[in-house]
Amino acid sequence: MKKSLVLSLSLFTVLGLAACGTENSGSNENGSASGSSGQENWTPQQSLEIVAPSGAGGGWDTTARMAAEGFESEGIIDKGIGVVNKEGGGGAIGWSYIAEKAGNPHHMFVSSPPLLLVPLNGQSQYGFEDFTPIANMISDYGAFAVRDDAKWDNLNELFDDMKDNPEDITVIGESSPGSMDHIQFVKIAKAAGVDPQSIKYVSAQDGSTMTNLLNGNADVYSSGVTETIEQVRAEEIRVLGVTAEERLEGDVVSEFPTAKEQGIDETFVNWRGFFGPPDMTEAQISYYEEKFKALSESEHWADTREKFAWNEMYMDSGEYTQFLKEEKESMQQLLNELNISGG
Amino acid sequence: MGSLEGILSGVQLAFSFQGLLFVFLGVVAGTLIGMMPGLGPISAIAIMIPITYNMDPAVALVLMAGVYYGAVFGGSTSSILLNAPGISGTVATTFDGYPMAQRGEAGKALAIAAISSFVGGTISVILLMLFAPVLSNIAIQFGPAEYFALMVLGLTAISSLADGSTIKALISAVTGIMAVTIGIDSQTGTTRFTFGNPNLLEGIDFLVVALGLFAIAEVCALIINRHESPERNGSIGSLKLTKKDLKDMSGPMGRQSFLGFILGILPGSGATIGSFMGYISEKKIAKNPEEFGKGSVKGVAAPETANNAATSGAFVPLLSLGIPGSGTTAVLLGALLVLDIQPGPLLVQDQPALFWGVIISMYIGNVFLLILNLPLIPYIAKILAIPRPMLISMVIMFSMIGVYAISFNTFDLYLLLIFGAIGYIMRLFKFPAAPFILAFILGGMMEESFRQAMTISNNDITVFVTQPIAMSLLLIALLSFIVPIVQNTRRKKAEQK
Repeated sequence: MKKSLVLSLSLFTVLGLAACGTENSGSNENGSASGSSGQENWTPQQSLEIVAPSGAGGGWDTTARMAAEGFESEGIIDKGIGVVNKEGGGGAIGWSYIAEKAGNPHHMFVSSPPLLLVPLNGQSQYGFEDFTPIANMISDYGAFAVRDDAKWDNLNELFDDMKDNPEDITVIGESSPGSMDHIQFVKIAKAAGVDPQSIKYVSAQDGSTMTNLLNGNADVYSSGVTETIEQVRAEEIRVLGVTAEERLEGDVVSEFPTAKEQGIDETFVNWRGFFGPPDMTEAQISYYEEKFKALSESEHWADTREKFAWNEMYMDSGEYTQFLKEEKESMQQLLNELNISGG
Repeated sequence: MGSLEGILSGVQLAFSFQGLLFVFLGVVAGTLIGMMPGLGPISAIAIMIPITYNMDPAVALVLMAGVYYGAVFGGSTSSILLNAPGISGTVATTFDGYPMAQRGEAGKALAIAAISSFVGGTISVILLMLFAPVLSNIAIQFGPAEYFALMVLGLTAISSLADGSTIKALISAVTGIMAVTIGIDSQTGTTRFTFGNPNLLEGIDFLVVALGLFAIAEVCALIINRHESPERNGSIGSLKLTKKDLKDMSGPMGRQSFLGFILGILPGSGATIGSFMGYISEKKIAKNPEEFGKGSVKGVAAPETANNAATSGAFVPLLSLGIPGSGTTAVLLGALLVLDIQPGPLLVQDQPALFWGVIISMYIGNVFLLILNLPLIPYIAKILAIPRPMLISMVIMFSMIGVYAISFNTFDLYLLLIFGAIGYIMRLFKFPAAPFILAFILGGMMEESFRQAMTISNNDITVFVTQPIAMSLLLIALLSFIVPIVQNTRRKKAEQK
């Protein structure tokens, strides 16, 4: 997320510059064309652009690149698909870029819970309502890890301890307070009766989160499931709980207990899906829904999911919109309780 | 012994046709990318993720590692020739490399850079091979308190980067610290000094500042003073290093191979901090520190050795712990996941051929880089023979492309120009730019780790003096601050008598 994770696509710079030129000319033509062809079937008139609103190498970037690769190698979409990184503002720069593409459905971006959290924190003028949710593709879950020699054996022991001595327990995560790693922990802890404001949370970037868990500076690491697997295998850390509804499938991860099975009735989904610009027609939406569904059901995508330990979570445009509304409300509530608001 | 077998299978992999071919391709691509101002290894590795999708994982890793250290190797070229750092790890190389080139010794500067890079790269790979598992424990020891102490130690060097007035150097440094606070504050999520501009939320990228203060400011000075200064010496001088040069280089190369490597091991530190610390420490211990900044042989050798050594160092936590030590290795970690390699504490046991193969390919890669770069120096340095108006245009263009490639955001181009203007104004009034850039790098990490440490200790400030590593680092910082002052007053007293 931070500036160290910067620098996108050097070799493609020149291509990128060239692409910008063609996009501009393209958007004019299609701005008018999309109005008239909105009735029946719609197919793209030009190559597609998927924006990853982050630097190269992160979760959004990987999802976008793997989806583009899947569409092409499976022959689902026969137009060229370019992935472009628009980094900045925790996503806000990429979002405002797509917001300006209203009426030109050849541009999309990939997003996840920050699309809800960043605007709620007052750091983006655009939220999901300003875009067209096309399809959700995958989900990922949070994991709460402690050192192998830690005294807690399950989430309840940890949370009970936190209720008594909140100042003794440091929770560490990558993102800043009010963002994902923090919120996923707060959401589960609150359901277990911990006062959200009492949680001592430290944000650390540049890969130092795991280091600080291992060297004892932090007690709990709030992260994605994938990041914990290797250290669990080496018996350096243990995962006390994951935020999924049910146990995950896979080698090591199937041994991670959910918060739910420990009697804490709460989940946190790190969903990831695709959004188009505002004002897309029904025909355009259903074109993409169909394509993303085909990708989601392909062997190729199943392999991709397995590779990155992602879970299948396809939602079409309607389901997705409803889901996002509910998620937003629950996030808003948490942020209010944490006393973090737009500023 | 298991590990011997592992090493042998690694040798086999590294010397296989594929292994040799891809390490070669990797270092060539890396050198070229490194030479372009602003374009760095992160982007190159990210592009390769889909390309390497179906490749043998070990070979893919050899390729990507080659791109990484190749870029650090090649990054010095534009620093030296154009004052435009190729990657962030070679900013410190501009301090002495560019003055040397201006003196008409571009060939020599490039040769020093190539040789020091080779030595730093090679010695550090030996260290990597021998001590990776042991050293990974050092990386783990560093928590927020230790990082804070390390950053303080780095900042005490500001006075030694001063070029005349210490006050001006301090003002420059404070401005640098102020500039780095722009953006979302990581510990509270509050936005600071963004003036509601979403483009500033993630702060200003280091390369924007570096290219602005160095490359664009230099270009401004060249344009404005075009009638005063004579046409620059287009000759590149001899590549030959004298015995004295080699002697001067050997000290920094030996020391910085170790220091750079250790700094590289620390997560979040990497080639940039490594090269600065290398430059500073050599200046501190040099017999004639006044030569630094004016084209000193040591001033080129030190950062160039250190940044390449730090690059190998960054592989220690990645390969032996699965923890990325820098932005680039973080992307590399992502790339490895795609290839079904799980870097973690068990990698050496699970995949010894891969582990050792990559390390051994790094020796080969460094040799390739040296054979590739040395003969090319006369041709590359010909860039200086290009008429000045064209050269200036090229520097501006490449700086712009480099900055645009960071975020694909035109706003950064305006920032580049603003920092160019700031850099030029600083020159006019004789404020040194080096302290600004040093404070910009160290200040952000210093603040973050200070506050992390304070939160963890429940605001108990003694946390910095009760832990041995942090305390020793702070003590060294204190000494390096006090000793010169004491020496100065003694000297003055002696003069009075």
